[in-house]
Amino acid sequence: MPDKLELSVRRQSGLPIIQFSGDVTTFAEDVVQNAYRDVAREGGRNVGLDFGSCNYINSAGIAAIIGMVTEARRQSRRVLVFGLSPHYQKIFRMVGLADYVEMCATEDEALLRVTPPEA
Amino acid sequence: MTDELKRSVEIRIPSELGYEKVAMEAAATVARQMGFSPDRVQDLRTAVSEACLNAIEHGNKLDVRSRVLVVLTVQPSGLEVNVADSGKELIPTGQPQAGRAEDYRGWGMFLIQNLVDEVEVQSEPNVGNQVRMVIRLGEQ
Repeated sequence: MPDKLELSVRRQSGLPIIQFSGDVTTFAEDVVQNAYRDVAREGGRNVGLDFGSCNYINSAGIAAIIGMVTEARRQSRRVLVFGLSPHYQKIFRMVGLADYVEMCATEDEALLRVTPPEA
Repeated sequence: MTDELKRSVEIRIPSELGYEKVAMEAAATVARQMGFSPDRVQDLRTAVSEACLNAIEHGNKLDVRSRVLVVLTVQPSGLEVNVADSGKELIPTGQPQAGRAEDYRGWGMFLIQNLVDEVEVQSEPNVGNQVRMVIRLGEQ
């Protein structure tokens, strides 16, 4: 009974955003790593993770996200997270993920954080 | 029929990843009917899902011939959930740390302990693991 997860990458104001649609579970690990590596190959300093279309994240999915975030940190890449429900925001704080990513209330807030202020 | 039997629900799920959601949604339905807040229902969903995942992956080693038994018991003070497997392997109870170990798995029991009001684990190799969880009405 495989879970359905679709990841797509879009760009918003220069920020590459990985959009999670579906369930983030055991089956997510390779999909998540591949999506991240596609973004990393482009060489930007920031990556956004949009969980707005995601209803279920289990511990295996969290492990996949931790793996991705760990790789991003090794490459000095900022990870901005938005679209998480209050429950999963709590889970991210609980497992310590919130210490390694920037938790944003909205996509606009994420974009503001990575947009250099106008001179 | 005793009162406890009247107020309990038993679910047997195959030891295949994905079926934990059946138990998770059943527990959420019962909890909503009991009047738990949406936040607490979410906590319960995750706890039940993780207990079932441990049972599927470790206790039953993904053997589809083995079932995971989930029993939901409505009590005046809250909801008790028991998750039992065949004990092929003990369920992990340690706590990993984000950003440290190379194997990032193993958060299940940690999440359960932080999301429900009571947790009790009984394990006997090749006999079974049983995880008993309680969420109490009125707790935050």
